[in-house]
Parts: sequence; C-alpha cells; structure tokens
Amino acid sequence: MTQTPLIQFEHVAKKYPLGVGEFYQALYDVSLVIKEGEFVAIMGPSGSGKSTTMHILGALDTPTSGKYLLKGKDISLYTSNDLARIRNKEIGFVFQAFNLLPRTTVLKNVERPMYYGRIPQQERTARAMEALKMVGIDQKANNLSNHISGGQIQRVAIARALVMNPSIILADEPTGNLDTKTATEIMTIFQNLNKKGHTIIVITHEETIANYAKRRISIVDGSIVSDKKM
Amino acid sequence: MELKELILSALQSLRVNKLRTLLTMLGIIIGISSVILIVSLGKGAVAYITEQLSSFGTNVFSINPGTSAFSSFASGAKSLTMDDVETIRSDTSLTNILSVAPIAVVSTKVSANDIDKSLLVQGVDHNAQNILKPTILHGDFLSEEDDLESKRVAVIGIDAVETFFGEEANPVGEKIRIDDKSFTIIGVTKSGSVIGAGVLNNTLYIPISVALDQIEGNVDLQEIDITVENTDIMDQTIEDITYLLRDTHSLSETDEDDFRIQSFTDAITTVQAITGLLTTMIAAISGISLIVGGVGVMNIMLVSVTERTKEIGLMKAIGALDNDILAQFLIESVVVTVIGGIIGISIGIAGAFIISLIVQIPFVVDVMAVIIAVGVSMLVGIIFGLYPARRAAKLSPIDALRYE
Repeated sequence: MTQTPLIQFEHVAKKYPLGVGEFYQALYDVSLVIKEGEFVAIMGPSGSGKSTTMHILGALDTPTSGKYLLKGKDISLYTSNDLARIRNKEIGFVFQAFNLLPRTTVLKNVERPMYYGRIPQQERTARAMEALKMVGIDQKANNLSNHISGGQIQRVAIARALVMNPSIILADEPTGNLDTKTATEIMTIFQNLNKKGHTIIVITHEETIANYAKRRISIVDGSIVSDKKM
Repeated sequence: MELKELILSALQSLRVNKLRTLLTMLGIIIGISSVILIVSLGKGAVAYITEQLSSFGTNVFSINPGTSAFSSFASGAKSLTMDDVETIRSDTSLTNILSVAPIAVVSTKVSANDIDKSLLVQGVDHNAQNILKPTILHGDFLSEEDDLESKRVAVIGIDAVETFFGEEANPVGEKIRIDDKSFTIIGVTKSGSVIGAGVLNNTLYIPISVALDQIEGNVDLQEIDITVENTDIMDQTIEDITYLLRDTHSLSETDEDDFRIQSFTDAITTVQAITGLLTTMIAAISGISLIVGGVGVMNIMLVSVTERTKEIGLMKAIGALDNDILAQFLIESVVVTVIGGIIGISIGIAGAFIISLIVQIPFVVDVMAVIIAVGVSMLVGIIFGLYPARRAAKLSPIDALRYE
C-alpha cells in the first residue's frame, strides 16, 4: 500500500494582482511531493518565489491555480478560518524575525498556539514546559520575550512550533539574524528533531544552512530548477 | 478562563502605554463622572425637598383660590372666603377632617421702636399651629378666643424680632404697629422647616378676623389648610370638599373649579417628577461626552491595530481565528472604557459627597445609575471598539507579517 504524501503540490501557480489587468506571477506550475519525516531545504535567491512557496506550504496563502494536498486533503479552497485551524494543528512556524509576542512571557508565547487550539490551561502549561525543555530553554520560561537573546528567541519559537505536535515544522530563514555559532546550535536542534521523526522544511538562501537538510529543492524565477537528495 | 486570559492580555497591552491609555479614558471618565454626580445630587435634592415638605405632615392638604397657581398669584383670585371655611367646618358628613385652618396674607407696613418695615402679615386662627408646627420660643400662639374676640394681638417670627427689637430679645408684652394699628405681642415663634423658615420667621401672625376686617389693603383668603384623621381616605375627603365648594360657588357642570386642592403628597410627587426630569435631562446632556470619549477610544484602538499589525500576523500564523483577534481587540476596548467608567463613577461619587456636604443635602448614591454607568461604559467600548477590532480580524496573515 502506498503511503499518502504529507505534502503534494500539483501544478501550483501563484499570481499577485498589481493593477487593473496586470499581475505578477510568483510561481509557475510547481509540483512537488514531501513525505513525512523528511528534512527539506527550499533554496533560491531573492525574488525566486521561495517565500511564496513557503506561504502556500504554511497555509498562509492559497494557490491561484493547481492543488495543494496536505495529508491527502486539498486545502487550496479553504476559508481563512479553516486555514487558521490547519496552521494551528498541522504547521509549526519559525520565522526569521518577530517570532514572539512582545510584553509576554516565554511560557505564555509557547502556550499561545494551544490557547487558539482550545486546549485547557493546565495541559497548556505542562506541554509548553515540556517543549521548552526539549530545546533547552525551560529555565527562561518566566522571562519576558524581549528580555532574552536572539538565539534564545529562536529556541522559544521552535518550542512553540513543536508544542501542537504538528505534521510540519516550517522555518523561514531561521538563522538569518543569528551569529554562526548560534545558527549552528539552532540547525542542530532541527536535525535532532528530524531524527525523532519530525518533518522539517527550511526556507533559506544560505548554502551552509541548506547543508543540514537531507533534500534540497532550488527555485528560480518561480519554478523548481533542481530537487536533490543530499 | 478564556475571558480571564483575554482581560489579562488586554491589561498587559494597556500597561505599555499608560499615559495614552489614561488620555483615552479621559472622555469616558468625564462623561461618567458628570452623569453620576448630577444623578446623585438630583437624588439628594429630591430627598431633601421631600424631607422638608414631609415636615408639614402628610395628612394635610390645601385649598387655594383660582384655577391655577399662576392665576391665583397673577390676578389675585378671590374665590375663597370665610364662608367656604364655615361651610366645610359645619358639614357634619366630613368626618375625616381634624382641623380647618384659613390663612389670609397681606404685605403691610409694620413699625416698632421707630423702625418701619413692610412685612408679610398672616391672618390665621389657632388651627394654624397644628399645620405650621412652629416652635414657640416665648409666650403663646394665637388662641381661639383671640380670633373670636378679634383681639389685636400678634405672634412674631424670630427674624422679625431681630429686626424690630434686637437679637435674642423677648418682646412678649411689647407693642407693635401693623397698618398703623397697635397690636400686643403675645408670642415669638421659630419655624422648623428649612424651606419655609425664610418667610415664616420673618412674618407676623394675627387673628384672621382682625386681618380680614381691620387691616386695609388687599387682604384675601389665600389658603385653607385642612388636616385629616385618616390619610387612606384623604382622596375621598378631597373629592367631597370639591363637590361641596363647587356647590357653594354655584358652579355649573361645565365650569372649571375656581379653586385648587393640593395635598403635600401631591407637592412631593410634583417636586420629585420635576427634579427627576431635570436630572435625567442634564445627565443625558452630560452623556454626550461619552460619545466623544468613544470616538477617542476608537481612534486609539485604530492606532493600536496599526502598531501591532505584525503581532496580529504572528497570532494568525500560529492559528488565531478571525474571532480570536476580534475578541482580543474588542476586550481591550471594553477594558479601557470599563476602567474609565469605574474611575468616573468613583470621581462622581466623591464629587457628590463633597458637594452634598457643602450645600447640606443628603448624600445619595443611586445604585441603578452606577449599574447603568458600568453598562454604558461597556457598550461604548463595544460600539467604538468593534470597527478597529474587525479591521484587525480581517487582516491577511501574510500582509500583517510583512508589515513594516
């Protein structure tokens, strides 16, 4: 029996309207399959369409044409609230910057996806602490998010991404604002998570970061130009 | 639990910009505090007036000449006479009546100790004492005999004593000239009513027979005060007297009454109605500032939504539904207005307390007004917070995350 792919893009295209009768095409006829447990790096220069790919992969946006099947279900035509539920349960985000809610403790930041997932408070705290422990930052649980370092912020973001036990962890330039040593630490965390079975997709333009992945998909001018196992 | 979390989160956001939050609340604070202040003072004034009117007794009603208060005052209606008093007194069917006290009032020249002054002189009989309830400081009040024998005697109010004889003097036995006729002072009174004291303490009471027959000028019967035994059937007594007087005055069925009957209970009800209406009107006008306050809240909430666009994007990325964002901003707006409302209520109550101490009226806190004020604050928060909250909820997560 063939296993249903975790992610399946079928001829996905994305156009953004610019004005009356004008548009900008960010993606052309992109098809790809990502299976559960993969560690994929999506690479490309600025303006290549990798961010658009990330937005569609992360259910932050929908394709103009084509299909996006997540666990076999076509989510291309979902409403904004349905997509929010998908993001909450199936996708854990780690962004380059503005990862955490300001004026809020580390613990509350990690609890937040569970709050939107209507998980009871007691369970939220226990699960958030567990996720923080997993990335080695549980001792900072009660610190305000603006009172920790950049590397620590990314660890907290990873903990928040893990806490709903999602199908995919989607990291958009997760080391873009970090020094080399901290970037290595963060990528090692992703590697370890992948070893434990988590599916990781990293969007990056840096070769060194892409080298941590087991598969590299390169996008140029809105199309996949290479898809290699490492 | 969810609500508690939302409120805590709202308080946290508001704490970041304390001054801005306070300024936003200012319109609400001013609006609510002025409404509470006015309502409290209005209620205090009603309580005060009621208390004062009640001091005359709730078993009293009065008959005045003329079809309205204005006509009797402006045209000097003369529809009441001592015959009416006698008719009422002699009607044996009116068993509920305790006393009938006619009052004739004239403003005339009074002189003593080489001092001349125009004063209000009231012609009354001994029954007036039961209604006016003055404190007798010296001597006695007028007796039935004084009236029957038309004695030239007078009872003088304490302020008039001070005018003619000096402070704390006891002028009993002294002579005083009223309308150039010599009267012997037989008593000094002091009115217990704060409302009536200004007039009653500066007046002279003389026998009504003397007032009507011997004092020159426009001396008319201005009022007949009647006390009843049983207040439960006071309305029936009033009705009986109305029929009796209409009959005595030979009024046809189509004629209006040429007299007015009003009980103190009616007066209290009228005062309460007028004061209540005035209070409501002024409170409603003050409430307009709540709209101004609401617009301020909307403005700041729109600024807040813009400032926190990235935050909204992040919340949406991690799974916040449109309604989650809507609820968060709406609660924030309601928290601002409710806190403003509570501060306004406190200031209003404190202001009412201080003013009631200064003007010496009872301090009344209208619980219903406080409850309504909290409700209105909440409503202002919802109405004026809804648009910014909807704007936040409808933001696309990508646009919000990309916002610079």
